Amino acid sequence: MRRTALGLAALAALGWPLVAPKYLVFLGTLVAVNAVVAIGLNLLSGYTNQLSFGHAGFLAIGAYVAALVTLQVPALPVPLTLLVAGLATALVGLALGIPCLRLEGLYLAMATLAFGFVVTEAITNLDWLTRGNDGLRVPLARLGPWTLATDAARYYLAVAVAAAMILAALNVAATRTGRAFLAIRTSEIAAQASGINAAAYKTIAFVLSAFYTGVAGGLFAFVVGFLSPDAFDVFLSVDFLVMIILGGLGSVLGSVAGAAIVTVLNDSLAGFQAFRPLIFGAIMIICMLFMPGGLAAMTRRKS
Amino acid sequence: MSAAALAHVVVSGLATGCIYALVALSLVIVYNATRTLNFAQGEMLMVSAFVAWSAQRAAGLPLLLAFACGVAAGGVLAYVVERVVIRRAVSATHWDVLIITLGLSLMLRAGAGMVWTNDELPFPSLFSNRPVSFGPVKIAPVSLGIIGASLVLMLALVMLFRATRFGRAMRAVAQNQNAARLMGISVERVYSGAWVLAAVVGAVGGVLFAPVTFLSTKMGLIAINGFTAAVLGGFGSMPGAVVGGMLLGVIENLAPLYLPTGIRYSVPFLVMIAILLARPRGLFGRVERRKV
Repeated sequence: MRRTALGLAALAALGWPLVAPKYLVFLGTLVAVNAVVAIGLNLLSGYTNQLSFGHAGFLAIGAYVAALVTLQVPALPVPLTLLVAGLATALVGLALGIPCLRLEGLYLAMATLAFGFVVTEAITNLDWLTRGNDGLRVPLARLGPWTLATDAARYYLAVAVAAAMILAALNVAATRTGRAFLAIRTSEIAAQASGINAAAYKTIAFVLSAFYTGVAGGLFAFVVGFLSPDAFDVFLSVDFLVMIILGGLGSVLGSVAGAAIVTVLNDSLAGFQAFRPLIFGAIMIICMLFMPGGLAAMTRRKS
Repeated sequence: MSAAALAHVVVSGLATGCIYALVALSLVIVYNATRTLNFAQGEMLMVSAFVAWSAQRAAGLPLLLAFACGVAAGGVLAYVVERVVIRRAVSATHWDVLIITLGLSLMLRAGAGMVWTNDELPFPSLFSNRPVSFGPVKIAPVSLGIIGASLVLMLALVMLFRATRFGRAMRAVAQNQNAARLMGISVERVYSGAWVLAAVVGAVGGVLFAPVTFLSTKMGLIAINGFTAAVLGGFGSMPGAVVGGMLLGVIENLAPLYLPTGIRYSVPFLVMIAILLARPRGLFGRVERRKV
């Protein structure tokens, strides 16, 4: 049952650019990018209970690294560029994650919030490298002889990467590491008493989460084609949180669903900017009060 | 830089610091009673400032009365929010309440933008902005006014926590909820009271702060500085919140003199990261023991 559903979803994703108008193809690409971020955030916040308000910062690092690498080495194949973006962001995640081991709950939330602000301020001020507030034009992505110049090409790139990342996350969740994450979420002290090295696994979650977000940042750079620091403000981090809260904390497929809903909602509310935070705020409150566990928990209860 | 100019910078830093201290106090009051952080504290004081503005502009009330209206509106808003939303999640984890208040802050901000405006408005002040000379030192009366008003409010808080039944009940709940309940204290009432008290303290900070910057829906971001101040002093400690606030205000005002100007807006965040990484329990905080 689940397998057929996944197969149908894959088929629909592959056929989408053939039937949908150009703008909706672009929207589909954004859904794929955001799904990767949501999974990354969920691995950290949903699985190990380390709340992050700074994922827009990680996304920005991935995006700028991918853009700058492509400017330096235009011929580099896209998968390698994305890998570099992911690894560079993972390194930052490691540097942030180790000192953050000492923090939990709201302290961690505030530290990550501050991290997000510092990243955008740094991008603004390092204008010799990032062109600051003027913005950075991202060259087209290349894959061997092909240049990914059309919306459809970028769509397939994003979907392929997202599919690989989703499968990888599902596998991680099903292994010893995933179970260790969930044990830490339930009770860190109980997990430690059961022989789980909580510090190591929390750091792994941080690095993994940063890697996912960094790769998504690279995709974001190629999809949008233009980067400026104000695109990565704290409200973007909040959007990512809404995705995983709506989709379900501690659920990979829930993150994908949450990302899809929030991205489409965000787009359809583009004409009503004033209502956007009102609706997103309401979603957060309603989810927390009436459906903790989000969409994922609802489907689980039914089956 | 001359000593007189330095004194001017420090005094205006202390004035900003007093406002941070009030916001930090309001965060700590809620935290001590309920063990959760109210992410919407900044947006609640923003609403108070807007109400005060309306009371003065539309209803034509005298300034002090308009401020009182704003502060009272903040208290009522906090009471309603606590009873209608937060109370339902009392059994939930801190995480959940944090997310709920984050949602609230988004809604309040958007709501204020619709009811009032998303633009920046000038806000009337009780005190003049024109510097007065004290010997060689020039100081703006507005700085002294803010410092004076904040100190009066802080003293009143000390009296409240030391000498009144409600203040003692709040301290008891902060120490041990179960024991407090067994002594016949209504913990729920303390929750409500803490939310209202925090909103009132924050609202005073808001009406003092609005004339210094501008009145806008972005004003709520001051809660981040308030949180930094509280962490600096040791989260949960009220004297710590005051000292932390003053310290942050002075650091923030001095930093641009010695560091590149672009760094000014990052100062609170850099201070926060530094203090969290180096000494998470702050200057006066205690280490809390965790239980399974």
